[in-house]
Amino acid sequence: MSDSAQIETAMLDLDRQDHAARPVPDLLFRLGGLIVLASLVLMVAGPWLTPFDIGRPSDDIMLPPPDLLAVPHLLLQVVTRAPHDPIHWFGTDSAGLDVFSRVLAAPRADVTIAVGANLFSLVVGSLIGLFAGTARPWLANLTMRLSDLVQAFPVFITGMILVTLAGRSNSTIVVTLALLYTPIYVRLTRSEVLTQRNRGFIDAARALGKNEAAIALRHVLPNALAPAMIQASVTIGFAILMTAGLSFVGAGVRPPTPEWGLMIAAGADGIVQAEWWPSVFPGIAISITVFGYAAFGNGLERRHAR
Amino acid sequence: MLSFIGRRLLTAGVQLIGLALVVFFAIRLLPADPVARLVGLNASPDAYQSSKHSLGLDRPLLVQLGAYLGVTPGSSGLLEGDLGRSWVTGDPITKEIRRTLPVTLELITSSFVLAFIVSVPLGMLCALRPGGVADKVTFSYSLFAGSQPEFWWGLLFIYLFFAVLGWAPPPLGRLDPMLTPPPAVTGFITVDSLLAGNMATFRDGVHHLMLPVLTKVFVLSGPIVKMVRQNMVRVLASDYVLYDQACGLKPRRIAVIALKNALVPALTLLGVLYGYILGGAVLIETVFSLGGIGQYAVRSVLAFDYPAIQAVVLVIAMISLFVYLTLDVVHAMLDARLRA
Repeated sequence: MSDSAQIETAMLDLDRQDHAARPVPDLLFRLGGLIVLASLVLMVAGPWLTPFDIGRPSDDIMLPPPDLLAVPHLLLQVVTRAPHDPIHWFGTDSAGLDVFSRVLAAPRADVTIAVGANLFSLVVGSLIGLFAGTARPWLANLTMRLSDLVQAFPVFITGMILVTLAGRSNSTIVVTLALLYTPIYVRLTRSEVLTQRNRGFIDAARALGKNEAAIALRHVLPNALAPAMIQASVTIGFAILMTAGLSFVGAGVRPPTPEWGLMIAAGADGIVQAEWWPSVFPGIAISITVFGYAAFGNGLERRHAR
Repeated sequence: MLSFIGRRLLTAGVQLIGLALVVFFAIRLLPADPVARLVGLNASPDAYQSSKHSLGLDRPLLVQLGAYLGVTPGSSGLLEGDLGRSWVTGDPITKEIRRTLPVTLELITSSFVLAFIVSVPLGMLCALRPGGVADKVTFSYSLFAGSQPEFWWGLLFIYLFFAVLGWAPPPLGRLDPMLTPPPAVTGFITVDSLLAGNMATFRDGVHHLMLPVLTKVFVLSGPIVKMVRQNMVRVLASDYVLYDQACGLKPRRIAVIALKNALVPALTLLGVLYGYILGGAVLIETVFSLGGIGQYAVRSVLAFDYPAIQAVVLVIAMISLFVYLTLDVVHAMLDARLRA
């Protein structure tokens, strides 16, 4: 068993036990929520908001970003609409592409993949989890052992293998991540189903003569979904990390798609020559985004526990 | 105790066999053409066919499986511990893994130990006054560190410590190319240097490990701090701690007593974490060109080198399961309730 999200799951379990003493400032939760919202807006609209064409290089190759001291002056020019040259806020890369525009456009790839994969595994995983929580013991056991088997694969390397051999495309990444993350949701939903199953309203439904399948779908599942939804916020962050990582080693999104991991990889050679900007800015974007999802998930979890 | 270990070994064995079968079939069912990748797109149909034949890919799937497992007479296979030969280099994969695996193990084991040493006091600091300023700051830090792209932090550290400050060596391997590596005994550069009494290579090896380990420690400290904190909070709320307080023991003394009990349940989680970073060493090795099993995996996957891919997945899963099992056994020895 080797999976960061699984560690997260184990930790959420621990969290639940000491929520009274949780110290996360409310600030972190709100900050996380804002970041999540911004990433979703960019996922939808990012490519339309870019100041430069993300595919057409300018003549300035490896142009550094403007000096920090010059930024207020440049901002003033933009705000007052004074005539000025187009500004490359984050500089340009070795092909002459505007780094700022590409950082803005990248969530279309990264966030879409991460959200898509998690929706996929949330739906499939919680249905399997419901099944494993209500089926006959031997069937439930078999399901859980299969889920264990999937979790025994080293996540990153398996991701690399599946994406590369299935043909690198955004949809294969979504399916691969969904497959790797499904066991997390199976496990979470199942344990929640097991506790929900014995509650009074379930007995009441049974006494009313409803059949077991209807009870499971209509009454147990909706009440057992909360932990899985909270987990999704954390796992979406990890899926963004994984997408960027896969692309970084050449086993993910194909160039020239604007994608954070690809941008970091393309700028990596410049790092040793102190040309930092093509790699550093997309990295900051990943750093902030994934932290946002983690903080938001943590806050949600704390609220749920109260 | 023995039956506990036996049962766990059996489960692990079944899991590994299942894993081997799944990997074998999965990579053959996916729509990739390893022959075309090997001979190139301009190869003649004859060359394509002969290459396909020499790789054994023209045989039925079950015959290929038999050869892989080594049940076909006259060939050795997985069941005898033979991982086959790489399609790219033609070398035995066992040899290639013996060369690359220690690199990864050296990196992650040292990172793991250091991260633990750094994180335990931090986690305790949080737990002693939950909700205090130190707790809030450390908790935010661990949330942040636990959600970072490590390959990017590696590059950032290279920029800072190599390109700007000049403190670190260039990120090109484990040792200065001018130095002769010590004779390989364990495969760990640092340990081998000490065994050979070669302080120059030892210092250089440590120097080259500095940045990758720093990156790993930073990323790893996030989850470990969180884990220590949560276990400590729970233990500190227990009755015997209350009793210790009633007896008038000093807080520091109580913290030491509680730490032992807080760390035991953490063992299992540490096992999971170790397996996770073993599989995730790919990125950091790529950034620093360390040539460990992670980079070997990237090379094999991108070249469609099926035998090597199968071997890497199996070896990494095996080590993870072994670490997991060992920690479970230690856990059971420390906590009699688990032995049932």
